[in-house]
Amino acid sequence: METLWLTVLGVLTVGYFALAGFDYGSGLLLPFRRREVALRRMNPFFLGNEVWLVAAVGVLFAAFPRLEGELLSGAHSTFTLLLAGLVLFMAAVQLRLWWWLVFTGALMVSVGWGLFLVHLLDAPWPVAFVMPVLFAVHGWVFQMRRWTLFPVTAALCALPIPLAFSSIDVTGLMAHNDTLSLLAWVAIPVIPLVVVSQWSIVALSSR
Amino acid sequence: MSAADLARLQFATTTSFHFLFVLLTLGLVTLLVIMQTRFTITGAPVHERMTRFWGRIYVINYALGIVTGVVMEFQFGLNWSGLATYAGDVFGAPLALETLIAFFLESTFLGLWIFGWGRLNRWVHLTLLWLTALTAFASAFWIMAANGFLQNPVGYRVDGNVLRLDDFGALLTNPTFTSAFVHVVFAAITAGGVFLTGVSAYHFIKRTPEADFFRRSLRMGVVTTALATPVLLGAGFAQFPVIAAHQPGKTEATPWVGAPLGFMILIGMGLTMISWLTLPLLFRDAVIRMRFPLYLMVVGIPFPFAAAIFGWMFREIGRQPWLVYGLLRTEDAVSHVDASQILLSLIVFTFLFVVLACVDWALIARAVRRGPDVAPAPVSPMVVTL
Repeated sequence: METLWLTVLGVLTVGYFALAGFDYGSGLLLPFRRREVALRRMNPFFLGNEVWLVAAVGVLFAAFPRLEGELLSGAHSTFTLLLAGLVLFMAAVQLRLWWWLVFTGALMVSVGWGLFLVHLLDAPWPVAFVMPVLFAVHGWVFQMRRWTLFPVTAALCALPIPLAFSSIDVTGLMAHNDTLSLLAWVAIPVIPLVVVSQWSIVALSSR
Repeated sequence: MSAADLARLQFATTTSFHFLFVLLTLGLVTLLVIMQTRFTITGAPVHERMTRFWGRIYVINYALGIVTGVVMEFQFGLNWSGLATYAGDVFGAPLALETLIAFFLESTFLGLWIFGWGRLNRWVHLTLLWLTALTAFASAFWIMAANGFLQNPVGYRVDGNVLRLDDFGALLTNPTFTSAFVHVVFAAITAGGVFLTGVSAYHFIKRTPEADFFRRSLRMGVVTTALATPVLLGAGFAQFPVIAAHQPGKTEATPWVGAPLGFMILIGMGLTMISWLTLPLLFRDAVIRMRFPLYLMVVGIPFPFAAAIFGWMFREIGRQPWLVYGLLRTEDAVSHVDASQILLSLIVFTFLFVVLACVDWALIARAVRRGPDVAPAPVSPMVVTL
């Protein structure tokens, strides 16, 4: 059960970070790119990653209830920054009034994830810039359509936080087997369904 | 103010803003299902145009509402870690089911619906909207099941100093869940009906040359409100015996907790009465030719939203001082976080949510003013395809 739920959580988190590079990365590059084109190319991916984040936090809450609260409240101000950036980014992309708000939102979210990485690893603070740099590189690869590099930068965005997370010992922090087996019936079929559907969205929008 | 007070204030603010978005989302998606089903069966262009116009507003509201939901979900862990630690095994189950089978799927189906516009077989496209609506209601179902557990904990056993899930079925037959779920669903449908009526009335006041389009929308709005409000009231009053049995102290939790309840009932009864009085006036468009009711319809738009906030205030304040009724006190569930950190996040999020609500309002108002026939002028990146 433990391995199963760590895998589910890992898949959801990797899904979020792999997709996050598209829009936060594109947002970070706005000062240097043709903004209309960059924003349009981001369209089919917009909001696609946040659903993975919400699902990951939901699983964290139900399957690791003794971990979730400590993990999030232990980095309270980091998440305030990160979520504020998320709100700003999503509203600014919708509103399309000032491109620098999109940029600021993307910067806040990615620095926020960097700070969370620092928190998880107990690393020196400059490590926080790892995430914005990785997102920006992935955004560049995506915008320039360098498809050969694409899987590499996607993996580089996706892995740091799940790997740092795997250093946490979860024994005793998980929910009881009754809760876990109930959720397993639901969580496992849903993930491939979402992958296929999101893939179809991208396929449809490029038609 | 203590950390607990600040965390409560923040929870109240986030939930209220979140619920404003949710109400319109649920209400509009129900009406969209009717519009698109009629289009798919009859093929009449007016139904397609209605789906497109109201769908655009729905998508704007959905996309902006998502972020309030994300903050909402994080808040459990950020400010209320005691809840997960103590009751996460039970409370977490419906919450996780909501994120996985409802929200996760709902957003994805909606994405397919948006980008599939004009590109998919129209029956497939209709199915996607049905699935979006069903998963949206599933979302309300699981959230209300989770909230029902906080109001009246069932289906658990105490194991050391935590709760364990004992009987999942009991969570779904919890009396504080069932009647409240129906109540919330019909509150959303009422909000959708009133919104449709008000926006259509606005176009008649402006004398937009789209009489047929907005006549149909206005009728649909009035009929929806008239059909939804009696169920809404019924499910509301059905909760009093449940409260008397399970939360006898609810009306005395704070001296003023009865006030929001009173306002909510007043608005609910008002909407029921007005919508039924308007029904006969739909005959030969009397209500449109009289003109002055049109202004009342526009003014009426905020009322279901205000009533919903009042309803939540009664339900949640009336639960105090308990977070999980009779088991976990609110003050014991607050995270071990400095009050200053919670204050900072309270200020930041309240500011951002006010901005967000204004942006939502501005974008919806712009889409409304442009009317049904717009050249593909993008309102937002999501809506560019609609």
